[in-house]
Amino acid sequence: MKFQYFFKYIFCFYFILSSESVLSNDKVDFKVKELTLELRCMTCQNQSVYDSDSDFAKDIKNVVKDKFQEGLNQKEIKHFLTERYGEYILFKPYFNTKNLFLWLFPFILLVFSIGFFIKKLKNN
Amino acid sequence: MISLIGFSSLCLSIIFSLALLIPNSILKINIKFFLLIFRFSTILVCISFLSLVLAYINSDFSNFNVFQNSHSEKPFIYKISGAWGNHEGSILLWLCMISIYGFLFSLSSNSLDDFKINVLKIQSTLFIIFAFFIIFTSNPFLVNSILVNEGLGLNPILQDPALAIHPPTLYLGYVGFSLVFSLAIASLFNKKEDKNWIYETKKWSIVSWTFLTAGIALGSYWAYYELGWGGWWFWDPVENISLMPWIVGLALVHSLIMIRGEQIIERWIVFLSILCFSLSILGTFLVRSGILTSVHSFASDASRGLFILLIFFLTTGFGFLIFLIKPPKNNNNLNLLLINKTSALIINNILMIIAMLTILLGTIYPIIIEVMTNTRISVGGPYFNSTVLPVLLPGFLLMSIAPVLSWQSNKIKKFKVYVVFFLILSFVVFLHSYLTVFNTWGFIGLILGSWIILSSTISIVLRYKFVISFNYIKSINSFIAHIGVGIMIIGITFSSVYQKEYNFNISEGEEVKINENILKFEKLYLTEEKNYQSLRALFRLTKEDKLINYIMPGKNYYPVSKMITTEAGIYHDWLKDFYITLGSEDNNIWSISVYINPLVSFIWIGVFIMIFSGVIAIFKK
Repeated sequence: MKFQYFFKYIFCFYFILSSESVLSNDKVDFKVKELTLELRCMTCQNQSVYDSDSDFAKDIKNVVKDKFQEGLNQKEIKHFLTERYGEYILFKPYFNTKNLFLWLFPFILLVFSIGFFIKKLKNN
Repeated sequence: MISLIGFSSLCLSIIFSLALLIPNSILKINIKFFLLIFRFSTILVCISFLSLVLAYINSDFSNFNVFQNSHSEKPFIYKISGAWGNHEGSILLWLCMISIYGFLFSLSSNSLDDFKINVLKIQSTLFIIFAFFIIFTSNPFLVNSILVNEGLGLNPILQDPALAIHPPTLYLGYVGFSLVFSLAIASLFNKKEDKNWIYETKKWSIVSWTFLTAGIALGSYWAYYELGWGGWWFWDPVENISLMPWIVGLALVHSLIMIRGEQIIERWIVFLSILCFSLSILGTFLVRSGILTSVHSFASDASRGLFILLIFFLTTGFGFLIFLIKPPKNNNNLNLLLINKTSALIINNILMIIAMLTILLGTIYPIIIEVMTNTRISVGGPYFNSTVLPVLLPGFLLMSIAPVLSWQSNKIKKFKVYVVFFLILSFVVFLHSYLTVFNTWGFIGLILGSWIILSSTISIVLRYKFVISFNYIKSINSFIAHIGVGIMIIGITFSSVYQKEYNFNISEGEEVKINENILKFEKLYLTEEKNYQSLRALFRLTKEDKLINYIMPGKNYYPVSKMITTEAGIYHDWLKDFYITLGSEDNNIWSISVYINPLVSFIWIGVFIMIFSGVIAIFKK
């Protein structure tokens, strides 16, 4: 029984930690990095805008920086970019009806298998 | 001439393999003769592949494939590796390996004759299917219709030592699962109660998994120093594809430990075996058909894609069909407890399968969406990081104690020792994070990795006396493997979370300060190599006026293909890598990126330990 408590504590610990958000940094550069890492460089092979040195990536970096300085937030900039380049530019697809399955599938699967496992366990 | 030999021996080996499939009712072949034919077919297909290699070495441009992918001025090693640096040649290598695995099986197996013949028949069937694929869509022995003296050259990015051996190693992994597949299907046809197939499956799945690990590691090491992006894993579709059979192979290797005579686990093993090879083929299809954009998208052709899709449906469909119609003989329940070894292994398997399905979904989702709604979306690193990692985390946690769990009860010997050490470790890690920059993922990764290492070490110390012998190493093998994973987790966490990046514009003779180090741009070199021009910038890295090392990032220009490749300059230290890439130039001022990647070496050390324990496990009875 002791062992179960041990596990419970570890899991609680883990969920508390993961629910906490990453350190917020007000610097624009940091925000630009954070966002451009999630953008696809459309002229490269599977490289993010942040990592790329291509002209396209440089333009986008500047655009993102300008938009942040204009006071737009991350969501608005993403919206602006997807209007121009399509959703293809986002490495992290939107959470919307079209991508619902993509986002929920792993977690539904996880919940189901936990349920299944517990049921099997009780049978024993 | 040499191509002719290659092609005819390929055809001959197909004919021999076809002869093996004649049913017993028509022509009775005895086992000795059967094995002889099989081995002869293997030798023939090897001759076929070697003649392609020879054509590359001799720069025989009358062969169309050599003409398209080689050049007479290439260094010798890249002439050889050029043979598999293209679609046709690599599929021939794949074919060759299917046969070689069968050959090795026929030599090493102690199985009953009937079973042996069944396995080799299935292996031959796979061989024939892939051989037809080569002959009809990807023949490497086509004759060049024009007379030429020079070839078009190999893609410069492939001219690299790690990448020369990356494909064969990776293929030894992928194709090894073909034998595991054959073993699984053949076991379904077993009339007698014969458990030998489990030992065979264990051996060959570990062999394949170890090669696959080495192949993936080589690929990502190459990506680290050659692409110059500062990272080593990019969730590129092709990386994902290699990860899927790897994960399922890992689940397979683990469930093979569970065998205690339960029918249900045997069924599960058969299922995983079929799945592993199916995923290998699916991966080949996705890469070679060109429907995914990736750094690997060399050679894409719709007709090839369709053919591989056909192979995929054929083998997978056939495999799972037999799996479904052959019902289990008897059913006994598993001994599940919270938490014993069996349930830990089952949770491990469940999590692996979920991770694999998530990767699969993320990889093919853009295709599904494009077909259904005609919009293009990308699913990249951020998606996988936020779905696959949380799924795997409890698995890692479980892994740290799994090897010490018992089969029958839910008690752990010396449980208190573990708890005490865990508390001490948590405290230390917490203190460390408190004193340095706190980062959630950094904290989780560090505590997981070090806990896995610590608990495995405790188990080794508690349960065994230190006698260095092979048997001893075998008995602690699973702990060693898990220590490797722990080291790798720490490496991955630190190198991704605490990576520092600096950008400078700098000209010759200038120096910049990075923390307590001084980096001086000494000189620019331009040299002529055999088949490229090399531009190198010499950087001198010092700390408190003491020289640490010279670092030479640069670029190579390959005149044949008119391509420039970046060559990152890396100074490896046990604790951190200094990683410099040379950017563009403007008025003799160069833009450079300097990355300080902490603990990258841990990743390679961890992988090395995992491969080591894979090799040990092969010899484990």
